[in-house]
Amino acid sequence: MITNHLKLLVGGVQLRDGVVTVTDVLGRILTRAGLYVLAMERGYASTIYGAHQYDPMVIADQPPISWGDPALDILVALDYDSNPDASQQPNRDTVLRHESHLKDGGVLVYDSSTGEIPTETLERRGIKVFPLPARNVARDELKLDVVKNMVAVGALFRILEFDRDVSLLRKLVEERFMRKGQKVIDTNLQAAQRGREVVETVLKARGWTGTGYHLEPRPLTEPRLLISGNEALSIGAIQGGCRYYAGYPITPASAILEFLEEHLPKYGGRAMQGQNERESIRAALGAAVAGVRAMVGTSGPGLSLKVEEFGVSGMAEVPIVIVDTQRAGPSTGMPTKSEQADLSLVVFGGHGEIPRIVLAPSTQEECYTMMIDAHNLADKYQCPVFFLTDLNLSEGRKVVPEAVFTQTAPRVDRGTLVREEDLRKDGAYKRFALTPSGISPRLVPGTLGGIFKVTGSEHDERGFVSTDPAIRKAMMEKRARKMETYLREDAKPPQVFGTPDGKPVLVGWGSTRPVLLDAQQRLRAQKVDAAVVHFTHLWPFPTDVAKKVLGRASVIIAVEQNFSGQFADVIQSQSLLPVRRIVKYNGLPIYPSDVVGGVKQILLDGITHVRVGTEAPAPVRVSEGD
Amino acid sequence: MSDSNIAKSNGEPTVRAAQKPSAKLWDENATPRHRIQWCPGCGDFGVLAALKMALTKQEVTPANLLMVGGIGCSGQIRNYLNGNAFHGTHGGALAYALGAKMSRPDLTVIALAGDGDTFAIGVENFVHICRRDPGVMLVIMDNGVYGLTKGQHSPTHGRGMDIKEWSEESPPPFSPLRLALTAGATFVSQSFSGDPKHASEIYVQALQHKGFAMVNDFSPCVTYNKFNTYDWYREHGEEIPASHDPANLDAAWELLNDFDRRGRLPLGVVYRNPRAKKSVNRLPLWPEELQGADVRPLLQLFR
Repeated sequence: MITNHLKLLVGGVQLRDGVVTVTDVLGRILTRAGLYVLAMERGYASTIYGAHQYDPMVIADQPPISWGDPALDILVALDYDSNPDASQQPNRDTVLRHESHLKDGGVLVYDSSTGEIPTETLERRGIKVFPLPARNVARDELKLDVVKNMVAVGALFRILEFDRDVSLLRKLVEERFMRKGQKVIDTNLQAAQRGREVVETVLKARGWTGTGYHLEPRPLTEPRLLISGNEALSIGAIQGGCRYYAGYPITPASAILEFLEEHLPKYGGRAMQGQNERESIRAALGAAVAGVRAMVGTSGPGLSLKVEEFGVSGMAEVPIVIVDTQRAGPSTGMPTKSEQADLSLVVFGGHGEIPRIVLAPSTQEECYTMMIDAHNLADKYQCPVFFLTDLNLSEGRKVVPEAVFTQTAPRVDRGTLVREEDLRKDGAYKRFALTPSGISPRLVPGTLGGIFKVTGSEHDERGFVSTDPAIRKAMMEKRARKMETYLREDAKPPQVFGTPDGKPVLVGWGSTRPVLLDAQQRLRAQKVDAAVVHFTHLWPFPTDVAKKVLGRASVIIAVEQNFSGQFADVIQSQSLLPVRRIVKYNGLPIYPSDVVGGVKQILLDGITHVRVGTEAPAPVRVSEGD
Repeated sequence: MSDSNIAKSNGEPTVRAAQKPSAKLWDENATPRHRIQWCPGCGDFGVLAALKMALTKQEVTPANLLMVGGIGCSGQIRNYLNGNAFHGTHGGALAYALGAKMSRPDLTVIALAGDGDTFAIGVENFVHICRRDPGVMLVIMDNGVYGLTKGQHSPTHGRGMDIKEWSEESPPPFSPLRLALTAGATFVSQSFSGDPKHASEIYVQALQHKGFAMVNDFSPCVTYNKFNTYDWYREHGEEIPASHDPANLDAAWELLNDFDRRGRLPLGVVYRNPRAKKSVNRLPLWPEELQGADVRPLLQLFR
């Protein structure tokens, strides 16, 4: 009996089959039941309807170290044939694509409304198959198509021997459908009941006492949230004093815009859908010039459009937080797949040279805490602060203790913002006054006693345009000096797990940290002792710290989701240390097995650049849309 | 608390009893007259004069003024008078101004740009700012050329020229006023910087307008546009008659058609029809206004 330790996957036709509805209901209920849920590998296509969609979920007693490998315990296939006369089964994508990941002894639940599928090969592997005519139950018995998802939920809970008294499901259903009336609530609960009954019928008919899997509630010792990276960073922005947001709809950043459109006004702020990517960042910069904390959010293509404005922020010293929820590029790329390939753009993008800060949270918790830092840093250093997530982190959900968001009262520090009293003391105000730290006092327009001229042209201390060589030199150095100050005062060193001395060191950034830690554990079990060094503050690159931490490694291995190893190149060029790389860029998340395999190839075969996925079995060709 | 300096009103520029603006005040914190980098006779001098007159009349103070200058000779105007100024990318002026005004309705926000900045590279912003209607005044210094890059044609080049054949490379000029009306602008006007006093009267009306106020100002480039000169504008410009009702959209279109038929350029307010708008306060910005935001109601959504 496996209790509270499994990975399931729900799959179906996008929009039609309600994959996310099922995992959302599951996730919420399990969270309330004191279990830990991690769902960060959702696969979907850049289309609205018709393509295959799937959502894997790890369920455990303790916070899972990572999402693990693709191997599944339970496969839930919500798709059904829409054309039963077709010789090939067009809408059996879930089974076709994922059955090879289903473990021996696992469970398959599939919608049998339009017919049964051959399951001999599966049953030979000890897999228990549950045909579930969910669509038909919903449509024909309950006269409400959409509750087929609840039929599946009910079936799944019965398979997992969970929520036998239906108290948790009832509570959620009542909450969700209160406004739609008692009849809808009742129909949903009936649907779940029917799902349970079908499973019981199958169990009896097959003579199975159970499936070998069991979920049990645990005491909820503290309030917990099931939250995604985008949601966490949006709340972090509000907490961090951001009161102006502008964004253009783009996968996967649109959710930030929608969240802030709904909630930012409650805190006195405004969120605007720009008419395009450039209007968004320009309006945000205008708000920042006007004295308000401002932010924009986008993904790769939108970031490319904004590049000119990086320069404005850097040169005119206008603070702004720029969120890049990275997705697979280049160009339109794969809008619904995760990648870490925009690092070069945020570090080097833009003509000329500007001060800039690049942060990359690793977890949903850091999406919140580091976002507050991001706004403080933008104000203190009066430059662009890039906040890099990736699609998996942005959209991935995880159980997080509520205390992460409420424990300490985060400080809003607006840096050198001057007030009227300060001005009278100092005499003629100079927006770009040369200072030892490089940071000049900043004026909010409307403050009596001073005015500013702020420009993207080179300028003197007052902000008037100047090309005087001495002034230009002084200003370039002033702006650069701000970054020296940052490295001294605010840059956080990488997180080190284990001792790097004389060992192979796995280096990463962004959402790969859990995977590296998982791989580290597995390697240790195989007698390979590796350290993990994970960076959250990527630029300006902390060369001295990096050299100290990485310098004594036996071999440095960067693990990242891009083709060339962009962070590896940064480490190499800044520290002169050679960096091997394990890279994955096929749109799938990195798995611990990828890292373990890659490390072995590097250590045993002397390979310097491992490209994950080349040995993978040929995937089933299933159309995913544009 | 400095907060008292910043009006919590819904967009009205306020006067500080400490210092009512005079003409001399506008010359402080500004490039001295002899250092101004406009050619002698540049139409922008007229815009500058008209702007100072209008701001004085409206009792706007430099501290409460935020000018957003476009790229080019025209955008330099931001340094030639007292007041806060921002200068970003080409075509961006209106988008920056939008964000600034949305955040600080208490400031007087004026975008000052050329016809290239506004109608070529920035035309997307022009269209959408007309739609969004922020309380921003825009003065377009319209001279038919890109002066700073030495005289290339802008989208308004070719006015009044008798050209027999057009091409994709050299298309005919388009009408700023028609574009503004089409895009839903609530204040559409045109002026001539060769008559700064008259222009300033239009600027005053623009400053008073509760919404986006567009002023297309003919500002001759004496160096690069030898066709649309001061004399040319004096000959072809014509005051909009007092009988015109600017609140009437049909009348506005008819006026444009009439003037076009007669080969004349209307000077004055073509259309003025403020919208009903939500009133907004300035956004919170001081640390004491931002510290300790209670996000617990948001966390409830994820339990």
